[in-house]
Amino acid sequence: MLSLVGLLSLLRKLRPNPEKEARILLLGLDNAGKTTILKQLASEDIETVTPTAGFNIKSVAADGFKLNVWDIGGQWKIRPYWKNYFANTDVLIYVIDCTDRSRLKETGSELFEMLMDNRLKKVPLLVFANKQDLPNAMTASEVAEALGLVQLEERTWEIRACTAVDGTGIKEGMDWVCKNMKK
Amino acid sequence: MGSDDLSTGDKIQKGFQINYMILRDADTGKVIWQENKDFSAPDLEHEARVPVKILDMRAVSREINFSTIEAMENFRLDQKVLFKGRIMEEWFFEMGFVGANTTNTWQSTIEAAPESQMMPAKVLNGNVTIQTSFYDNETLITKSVVRLYYI
Repeated sequence: MLSLVGLLSLLRKLRPNPEKEARILLLGLDNAGKTTILKQLASEDIETVTPTAGFNIKSVAADGFKLNVWDIGGQWKIRPYWKNYFANTDVLIYVIDCTDRSRLKETGSELFEMLMDNRLKKVPLLVFANKQDLPNAMTASEVAEALGLVQLEERTWEIRACTAVDGTGIKEGMDWVCKNMKK
Repeated sequence: MGSDDLSTGDKIQKGFQINYMILRDADTGKVIWQENKDFSAPDLEHEARVPVKILDMRAVSREINFSTIEAMENFRLDQKVLFKGRIMEEWFFEMGFVGANTTNTWQSTIEAAPESQMMPAKVLNGNVTIQTSFYDNETLITKSVVRLYYI
């Protein structure tokens, strides 16, 4: 079972001399599954998830080390707020609803615009290709190709298929996050 | 005086509300205690009756959901767990910018040091409070106090 305390101890194991504090930023369009992923990280019930009209933060501390995971709402009217949370990010997780073909272009341009920001320079990127349980979902490689992720330069990145509602693929993605965290 | 004369701090205070608090077993994610009411009501101490098994848990997470009508530039909070007024745990957290008309949550989980888990329920009962103070820059917006009873 996933837990934030477990995630923090994995992070510390993989980075023998970590900074005292790490920050993961979780972004993506509305209805991509960010909050569901955040709740899965803490093994919480996901039935109550509603659209995030602001942000959700989970902070965990053990032995003087802290991990903060920020999930910022993806609705169009609050997307301009995203940039307020870029500073000091150690890993960016970008979540994509793989059934939302009509907004694939939109999610791609939001991502690429964001990656041009200096504060996210060299920040490792994990793309979660979410909702793989649904029959019409695009595969992770289809999404990677459509978005043109191979064009990313000077950036460590990875795309992983996942199904946030049942947790499939989340742990594997978070293992990558811990191994590739900045610093 | 009309409402236009309110200071920024007063406006923020007026438009700020705590919607709920939740305590969870951090290992299983299960809710131990939840209350949906405005904990920011000033000068009012709230009571939480929690099952005594909470004391055996390795880590308990505390979640606060709040709404603000006004935007804030440098929002931060200070959460303390006190036993008979003495600080057992303290967490400063800076959120920075908070947008106008947003609803947000902050959940903190501290894996407790083993020695702090030694005290028996009858000693702790009614003597532990969780105090959370909310600030924008140096201005105190509100403070919520929840006193724990172990049942």
